Amino acid sequence: MTWLIIISMAAVVFVSRHLLLEPKIPIRLSKNTLTFLSYSAPAVLTAILAPIVFVPEGELSISLYNPYLTCALVATVLAYVTRNTLLTTVLSMGLFFFLYSP
Amino acid sequence: MSTTQSITIPSSKMKSFLSGALAVMPLTIAVIPWGILAGSFALEIGLTAIESQAMSAIIFAGSAQLVALGMIKAGIGIGSILITTLLITSRHLLYAMAMRSQISPLPLKWRLGLGFLLTDELFAISNQAHSGDMASQHQFDRWYALGGGLTFYIGWNIATFLGIVAGQSIDNLGELGLDFAIAATFIAIVVPTVKKPSILVCVLVSLTLAVVCAVFAIQAGLLIAAISGMAAGMAYAKLTNEGAATDTPCA
Repeated sequence: MTWLIIISMAAVVFVSRHLLLEPKIPIRLSKNTLTFLSYSAPAVLTAILAPIVFVPEGELSISLYNPYLTCALVATVLAYVTRNTLLTTVLSMGLFFFLYSP
Repeated sequence: MSTTQSITIPSSKMKSFLSGALAVMPLTIAVIPWGILAGSFALEIGLTAIESQAMSAIIFAGSAQLVALGMIKAGIGIGSILITTLLITSRHLLYAMAMRSQISPLPLKWRLGLGFLLTDELFAISNQAHSGDMASQHQFDRWYALGGGLTFYIGWNIATFLGIVAGQSIDNLGELGLDFAIAATFIAIVVPTVKKPSILVCVLVSLTLAVVCAVFAIQAGLLIAAISGMAAGMAYAKLTNEGAATDTPCA
């Protein structure tokens, strides 16, 4: 069963990446579809990260004592100001492990 | 003439390959904790070491892998897992669309190879090369993309392997807070893409609904939040005529 999941997921992922690179596919995605898809990266990535940050132990935690939240805020500011991926991730993760470890 | 070419072309290929590898290095380093998490989490929910490594080697999609593992752990069926995977991976349709003019004229092996390697990270460095270097603005370099894509693939798989090895020797690796690495990486990718008010609306709606669904333990939360966010962003853009006012191409 696990292998079936792995292989079918791999097929879904590969097709989504490869399909529109094929010259034989006569794609004419409508302008509306393309506009809708243009929001998929921010929407999906946010939907994955938000529960990690706001609901770390299965309960809503909007508090400065939640290291996930404080470090995510720091990461957001760093990303906005520096636009530098490595700096943003390394500094915010460093802060997180500093705050998180007892 | 022909001899000079046969000497210079390979070295310029190698140079492009290496500069692609260098460009993706920061993102590869950033993804290490996340890869460790993917490997150890897979073991934790009962996959074998080979299955855990195969997820990274064959699927090669970090967010889809982690979300699927969570669903397997919750005992959710393969149909729901595949629909969720389709939603998470649908952004690659857009990346492929944006790179279609550059990659579709290449031979089949290049289309298959670069298609397999097309991740958020490869898309990000390919665009950096375009905006940063005016001279090569319209010149897509297949070796640069291959260097970047392959380096990231190897990095992701080594990190997964480390997670599998560590997961076998350390208990509760998931409780070390490695999941923050996912949040940090995605924040670093999402924040710079918020260039229009409609994208901010999309992000805020998606964020709010994802949190609400998580609080109430609604399993389709990711789907609900992401689709609502996309619809809200699009509706906002339509209502305010945003596209007409600031028509910035995304690629």
